[in-house]
Amino acid sequence: MTGNSLKVLLVEDNALNRDMLSRRLGRAGFTVITAEDGAAALDEMRANAPDAVLLDMNLPIKDGWTVASEAKQDPALATIPIIALTAHAMEADRQKALSAGCDDYATKPIDFPALVAKLEALL
Amino acid sequence: MNMKRFTARLSLRARLYLFSGAILTLFAINVSTHLWGSLARTESLVAYRDTVNAAQLTSDLQQSLEAARQQVLVLSTLRETTDEPLDANEQTAALTDLENIEARLRRLGTIGTEGTEDYYRRLQESTTRLISGWKAFYRQYNDTDAAIDVDSAVNFNDAIQRLGELDQRQEFLAIQRSNAIDRTIALTDRITVIGFITTIAVTLVLVVVLIRATNASLQRLKTGAQRFGSGDLTYRIRENLEAGEIRDLAHTFNDMSGKLQIAIDEVQSAKADADSANAAKSMFLANVSHELRTPLNAIIGYSEMLQDEIGDPGDVDRDQFRHDLGTIIFSGRQLLSLINDILDLSKIETGKMQVSLEWFQPSALIFQVCDALSPLVNQYNNRLELDIDNDAMGEMHSDPGKLQQIITNLFSNSCKFTEDGVITVAATMDNKWLTVVVSDTGIGMTADQQSRVFQAFVQAESNTGVKYGGTGLGLAIVREFCSMLGGHIELESKPGVGSRFSVQLPVDPESALANA
Repeated sequence: MTGNSLKVLLVEDNALNRDMLSRRLGRAGFTVITAEDGAAALDEMRANAPDAVLLDMNLPIKDGWTVASEAKQDPALATIPIIALTAHAMEADRQKALSAGCDDYATKPIDFPALVAKLEALL
Repeated sequence: MNMKRFTARLSLRARLYLFSGAILTLFAINVSTHLWGSLARTESLVAYRDTVNAAQLTSDLQQSLEAARQQVLVLSTLRETTDEPLDANEQTAALTDLENIEARLRRLGTIGTEGTEDYYRRLQESTTRLISGWKAFYRQYNDTDAAIDVDSAVNFNDAIQRLGELDQRQEFLAIQRSNAIDRTIALTDRITVIGFITTIAVTLVLVVVLIRATNASLQRLKTGAQRFGSGDLTYRIRENLEAGEIRDLAHTFNDMSGKLQIAIDEVQSAKADADSANAAKSMFLANVSHELRTPLNAIIGYSEMLQDEIGDPGDVDRDQFRHDLGTIIFSGRQLLSLINDILDLSKIETGKMQVSLEWFQPSALIFQVCDALSPLVNQYNNRLELDIDNDAMGEMHSDPGKLQQIITNLFSNSCKFTEDGVITVAATMDNKWLTVVVSDTGIGMTADQQSRVFQAFVQAESNTGVKYGGTGLGLAIVREFCSMLGGHIELESKPGVGSRFSVQLPVDPESALANA
């Protein structure tokens, strides 16, 4: 795998999925930091300036759409690419994520090699 | 205007009958006027002809009387100057002539008598005297002893004068009658012409009134039909302006419009129902898709990761492997229970969920369920309290499979949302109802959350499933099963205090339904 050592923020409230995805990203050579809710995600973005954000949409406190639109309105965070991760698989859901400010969109179950390709394309 | 209003109140048939009747009556009056005129003319002509005939007869009689007098005067002179007797033939001929005159006088009395009666009577008295004198002269002519005075100039002149008077009278009457004929002809001609003109005028007026009244009615019907046709089904033709068949027709039109409106409303409401059912179906599918993807994400993700790790050089971390495989199994089971719940709910919604009733011990069933789910109680360090009087509860006639699922769903629900707390399962039964109460000291719900929690795919919070697991279908299925078994479910809850689900089911749904 690519040893690019890029910093990725994984925002996911489901413990199993968070554990699984952070381990896989680590094996793929990414440096992974995690957040469990939307408010924590924005804090992490400000504190650690990740190279990319993988953002689940159904989050406690602040949902993914709110996080994306607030991040894009904040000049300090606006340049960080965001990839939405969601089990909502309809075209309308994709549009909803993109119009909230997400730069790309991936449907669960995650196609991991495709997700890595998306990350590398954005960075 | 009154005429129009009046005709508008009549039925179409009555209008046609009335107008035909009026026109026929006018024609009848016309024809009878004409006939009366003809009759009057004929009568006048007959009277005029009689008068003319009588006048001719009168002048004939005058000549005959003068001739007869001449003969009598000649014979009287001969009788005085000669002794030559009158032979029988001559005598008879003379008498016959006189009777002939008398016959003609009588005939004069039978024609054109009107207005001349007095004149004729006087003439008859006079001529009777004269002619009877002449008859006596002829009979006694040969009797030389008889002194006959035939110089009856007085009688003769009197008779001639009477005749003249009658003649004059008849001439006067003839002139008068001819004038009357002229007047009658003029009058009947005028009446006939006026009658025909009046008939034509009245017919025209009636036809125009009939056409306009009928046309106005038809126009209103047409307007109504056009409004209905353009979709304005609330429009109503004013039935009180019409009468008879047109009123019936207007009523039928209005009725039709009302029924159309109802039919359209029904179709629209059926369409709205179908649309909302369709939307619910799409929503359901979207939810199913979403729910299936969440455990699948873990299953596929962990499997792929293990596949990668097994190719790594060096020793395999067995504990890590065991943990990851356990996660895959957990997610697989969650997926299976989700699929089962979706199938159950789909069966309920399509009416294919069967209820199979049998007699069983509900207390035994509740104990079994609690026993089987005891690992769930321990998962979050909870304690189970059972409040079931096994001896006081008899048998019930219900669907044990459904009761088992109701209690399982409520019980696992309580276990999921309670930590370091108490789960209580209590059951009582009288001769009508079984009551099962599952309560906990868990996180509880707000009133708003309580109102949504029985809907399919809805959990108290949108992230509840991620945090606590579950499909959001369990309570929806519980509520449906309760109502299928003839019972109901109630919920009391307070955030931070706990929740209390109370299920009431009839001991025998058949007798409960019969009592309801």
